[in-house]
Amino acid sequence: MLERIGQLADPIGAIIGFLLTIMVLSYIIGDNFLFRLAISIFIGVASGYAAVLILYSVLWHQVLVPLSQAISTGNTDNLLTYATHVVPAVILGIWMLTKVSPRLSRGGTPVLAFLTGVGAATVIAGAVRGTIFPQIGASSNLLNIQAAPSELNGLVVWFLNGLIILVGTVTTLIYFQFGVKRQEEGVPVQRPVILEYLSTAGQVFIVVTMGVLFTGVYIATLSALIDRVHFLWETIIRFF
Amino acid sequence: MTDIICPLCGKPNPSELEECKFCHAPLKAAGFIAPSDQEGDESQFISPVAAPDEIESPTIKPESATPLEQAIPDWLKDTEAGFLEGVESKPEQPTSEDISAQIESLINPPSVPDNTAQPAIDDDWLTNLLAEAGGEPLSLAPLEEQPGEQAEESNTEITEPYTETPSDEEKVLPSTQIEKPDWLTGLEAASTIKLAGEIIPGEPTAIEPGIVEPEAETGLNQMDVPDWIGQADAVESPAGQKEPEPSIAPAELPSWLEALRPDETAAPTEPVEDLSAADIVTAGPLVGLKGVISARPSAIRARKPPTYSIKLRVTDEQRARVEMMEALLADEQNPKPVPSQPILTSRNIFRLVIAAVLILPIVWMIITASQRILPPQPGSIPGVVDFTEQIQKLPAGAPVLLAFDYEAGFSGEMNPAVSTLISQLMIKNVYMTLVATYPSGPALAESIIKTGAFSEGIQGPYTNYTDLGYIPGGTLGLRGLANSPMAVLPYSLDEVNVWASAPLDTVSTINDFAAVIVLTNDPDTARSWIEQVGVVLMEDSTPLLIVTSSQAEPLIRPYYQAYPAQVQGMVAGLAGGLAYGRTVGIVRQNGVWDAFSIAITVSALIIIVGSIIGVVMKMPASDKMKESKE
Repeated sequence: MLERIGQLADPIGAIIGFLLTIMVLSYIIGDNFLFRLAISIFIGVASGYAAVLILYSVLWHQVLVPLSQAISTGNTDNLLTYATHVVPAVILGIWMLTKVSPRLSRGGTPVLAFLTGVGAATVIAGAVRGTIFPQIGASSNLLNIQAAPSELNGLVVWFLNGLIILVGTVTTLIYFQFGVKRQEEGVPVQRPVILEYLSTAGQVFIVVTMGVLFTGVYIATLSALIDRVHFLWETIIRFF
Repeated sequence: MTDIICPLCGKPNPSELEECKFCHAPLKAAGFIAPSDQEGDESQFISPVAAPDEIESPTIKPESATPLEQAIPDWLKDTEAGFLEGVESKPEQPTSEDISAQIESLINPPSVPDNTAQPAIDDDWLTNLLAEAGGEPLSLAPLEEQPGEQAEESNTEITEPYTETPSDEEKVLPSTQIEKPDWLTGLEAASTIKLAGEIIPGEPTAIEPGIVEPEAETGLNQMDVPDWIGQADAVESPAGQKEPEPSIAPAELPSWLEALRPDETAAPTEPVEDLSAADIVTAGPLVGLKGVISARPSAIRARKPPTYSIKLRVTDEQRARVEMMEALLADEQNPKPVPSQPILTSRNIFRLVIAAVLILPIVWMIITASQRILPPQPGSIPGVVDFTEQIQKLPAGAPVLLAFDYEAGFSGEMNPAVSTLISQLMIKNVYMTLVATYPSGPALAESIIKTGAFSEGIQGPYTNYTDLGYIPGGTLGLRGLANSPMAVLPYSLDEVNVWASAPLDTVSTINDFAAVIVLTNDPDTARSWIEQVGVVLMEDSTPLLIVTSSQAEPLIRPYYQAYPAQVQGMVAGLAGGLAYGRTVGIVRQNGVWDAFSIAITVSALIIIVGSIIGVVMKMPASDKMKESKE
């Protein structure tokens, strides 16, 4: 019976997917009931799936299963590991539940502060170590001759590529330079002329970058549309 | 020439005037004659200006006839008689002394300040008078020194402030000590009133009850009165007939003075102000009185606070505005139905046209499975070659961490590259460790693995993998995974401790994996992996490979093109996936690439045409604006 249901799950899923795709594509003619119904279904399914996932993948597999395994095996090391890794998290998690009650909500503030502080420290440290310093080093090595290709054509391309990236980086940073000292009261603040020109060049690079990002988003969306059309055609071919 | 002293202002006026030339007060009715220069010094004592204190005694009775008068010498009687004759020559007019006394009693009530004794000025005029009569000037100086210390102290303390400026004639008088005549000594001995400076402590003094002045009841006060006046007082009010009422005769004010008096003094019994409605003092020393200022300030008065009505007094206009506001607030909570728009509008038609222009070529390419357009070459897509090389370098059976961090909506763009990757990993028989920071990641991973298990070159279901499930905590979870994967994900979704068995039993840190491959469509997720995990991976040169979508490629490529590279291989978008498939020999004959190519071309044409149309349509409007400005 289960095997038969498993065999039918795929075509049923395909049909549901087909219908939901048509319902979403109906937005072409404007906002309508089918589109709103499909969106509501997606939101409900996603929320339910996330709740089940947390209960199953986090609470069950990362809290209860390790505890049961440690108790069943009687391994002292497992119990110690569980006590040092899981129990504090569980305590903090239960403590965090005080945020549910408005009366006890202040009690969960320390946990929230702990999470926020640790999260911010982690993000900042990662950004410094993983993005800022490496990218500064990479920008300074753009024209490193040791990394240059040996072929002439490749060398020219490498040089132009590095030069454009270097100019773009410098001019973009100049564009975001707002720290101009006011000379006289009432006189509009103006940067030096050379900086104004470089700032304009940086503005051009920023515009190009924004265009590229928009193009990437559009291409991704277009790829999704092509995939859905292909799915619909395959579903039609499959059943008809 | 005789001057008339104004009873009101006290200034001398000529006798022919009927009213004061200074204050215009009538002189005939109440004025009195001022002493002239030719007259004797005896007239000075009746001048109110010269001796104001002597009229303070209301008990002076010049016409009294007592036995004491017998002791007065004849010359003094003559002098007094002559004086009285001059005064009584005007019977219709009161004497100047009476008038001055009455005025003084009205202006200065008969009260003597504390510690103030009657000055001994009377002694001066009396002395002068006696000196004139007897030819022997009398000085009071020795009298002041005669008594004991007590009299001396009182005399110096009290009489000095009231010492009158001596006149020219007084200055002529010698200051040497002059002996009293015998008759004066006898007179003093017979009289109960002593001159200034002579105080007999043990001798009681007759005090009239009407004069309520404790200090004035001392002997000093009575000593200022001349003896002959004191005798007259004694005759009029003997000690045995002390009247309870004060001996001060009520003043008979002239009509003009009566008219000048304030109303309250004229009718003191009637209240000036109607106090019937005045408040009665309820606390403090003035309790029970009406119409007086309470001694207790109202600020600290303990009383019940007034009760104010809490009912808001609003006008009809304000009430209408409140109702309108309430209606607006009530409307905010009620969902408003979206107004139905007609389907066939110009905007919808334009939208349908754009959709048709874009979708019809795609549908046509998909239906026909067009393969006319050359697929992308691996060399033209950055990162594909390096990605392929890194995958090829993986040893067979090596553990690889595979993160499924993309959403199902991007499966159309991601799946070509992911499917090719999974198939390649299966071919190399690497141990795939599946994780996800997206909730949909584990299900998506299972779906892809099962789909790839039926790819070409794979015999039977692929089981050389484990699904560790969802990594909670986002960035913190990634940091924990980089430090200790076993602590973050101790068990697989199959409830198996995969870290205790091969091949993951050799994995203690993230660097023990042969490679970390991140499949994500979000640039932020890719950056988190690079920042939290990639930094750790670079320590041991463990490759970090990324399969991403087109929207994240511009933000991830700097990490790939950096020197040293933080991402060792990258496959981005549909083009990258097809190029990667072409590299490993997998060419999909489904017309997707042709549809993608034609859709990009159509989109570019739509954008260009739309921009031109927009510019053309705006040009007339801008010309009109310029003309209107001009």
